[in-house]
Amino acid sequence: MDENQRERDELQKTLQGEGKRPDRSLKITRRTFLHKSVMTGAAGVATYGWFPLIGTLDLVVGQAGQPAAAFKFAWISDNHLYPKDVNTRFVDKAVRAVKEVQAMKPAADFLIHGGDLAQLGDPVELDLGNDILKEVKIKKVFIPGEHDWYLDMGQKWTNLFGQSNWTFDHKGVRFVGLDTVSRGPDYWTAKKMSPKERMGHMATLDGSVAGAWAGVGRDQLQWLNQTLSSWDKAKPIVIFSHNPLYEYYPPWNFWVRDWREVQEVLRPFSNVTNIHGHTHQVLYNELGKMRSIGMLATSWPWPYAPEGVPALTRCQVRADPGDHFDGVGYSRLTFTAANKIENEYVMWRKDVFAEAPSDSGCADNVNQNVHPRIADQEWPYYGAYK
Amino acid sequence: MKMIRYGLIVAGVILGSLLIVTSARAHKDKHTPQQLKAFEEVFMEQVRVGDLLFHGDDATAKKLNVELSRTGMACAMCHPFGSDNHPHEFPKFQEQIGQFATLRDMINWCIEKPNEGVKIDPDSPAMKALEAYIYWSNRGSKLDPGRH
Repeated sequence: MDENQRERDELQKTLQGEGKRPDRSLKITRRTFLHKSVMTGAAGVATYGWFPLIGTLDLVVGQAGQPAAAFKFAWISDNHLYPKDVNTRFVDKAVRAVKEVQAMKPAADFLIHGGDLAQLGDPVELDLGNDILKEVKIKKVFIPGEHDWYLDMGQKWTNLFGQSNWTFDHKGVRFVGLDTVSRGPDYWTAKKMSPKERMGHMATLDGSVAGAWAGVGRDQLQWLNQTLSSWDKAKPIVIFSHNPLYEYYPPWNFWVRDWREVQEVLRPFSNVTNIHGHTHQVLYNELGKMRSIGMLATSWPWPYAPEGVPALTRCQVRADPGDHFDGVGYSRLTFTAANKIENEYVMWRKDVFAEAPSDSGCADNVNQNVHPRIADQEWPYYGAYK
Repeated sequence: MKMIRYGLIVAGVILGSLLIVTSARAHKDKHTPQQLKAFEEVFMEQVRVGDLLFHGDDATAKKLNVELSRTGMACAMCHPFGSDNHPHEFPKFQEQIGQFATLRDMINWCIEKPNEGVKIDPDSPAMKALEAYIYWSNRGSKLDPGRH
């Protein structure tokens, strides 16, 4: 845990320097002021001053005087589908999200699927997910999650959804999809793991075998640098990734290991928004000139990490484990005519945000001290993933 | 009289000595490093078994004749590193169960409801192993029974 703290200190020192903030064209609406007024009562948060705390987040992404056309887009991710005969709950929730996205009025211009469509990379799971997503008739773009990839190293996923990183411009915004999952270090060859064993370790969030698998990679960093080189430094960029592009909690790969290099590429740009999956929870952070928004899963909510929750995050309500529609959902995002992005978490059962500490997914853990598992640290494992 | 008094004193000293010796024998011997290691191994073996059950290991579940989930979900999928288990807060009124509950009650509720598995004997080896892992992974947490 000390290493985590060291990394976090470095991240703060490197990226939170004087004047290193997202573009000043950011405007605080009445709504974000209300969020601030709730948060300033909590110890340790007031020092963050005026920075917005999302519920629905309003922020200006265009330059003043250059309004972009209004449009909507939607995010769905982390469905973690098993075959139907194993689990129908996850199917039900994925279907519900898809139906609601399709019913959006005005219609979304596109849907971004943020990865982890499958649970164990099984072709049956990926085909099931693909069939469910066919109900969305608008444009769809996809990035992979680790659960989609490590059974066959992305073969089935790529056959279904194409290239794992891409870019397109839409109404004045450059959108980039990054693949943060496929460049994990090889932990399987030396131990002669079967594809199923490899996938089993990758699918265990708190496992210790797959290691720091989340990363952008040198080749993709070069591609990102090249992709952005022609883009005006003040114009908006939205980067979709499965993992957050900063360091939140490395033991669960709530990060990319090469966040320093990513931030170096993004440094010249003043309007960068990273929208990511994997963390299955309401999450918001600002680092350097980039703001980062974590999306909900449709499958289940992860608990907040034992440490490192960004202070700008206003934590979600503790989910009721007896209600599988609680604590999960998807996002509707809108570019308004006033050049603002509005992010709306669509959580199906309860209010998104906790008002009292006793209901908060963060404040609930004040007396908790947790430790990594051990049963997968021995080789050969007895029992595990046979 | 003097002789009687001395006799009583001597008898008292002998009796006292006997009590001390007997009492010392009633206590366990000093622990050897080998014993302490063996105690730890017994505990950690249960932690390992509990860890495997908690992470959905089929082979371990079969060995202990339990079916903790029928949905593909494992305990660790909502509780990585044993987080949000809050063993230090039990016993307490547990909202989902609607009654005063122990950690074992809650483990069984999770097996039966979210995981749709078959609840286990509260005194079974599987329950003890799960309990061992949950407590071990939460060691150092502040004891706070009854907290919601």
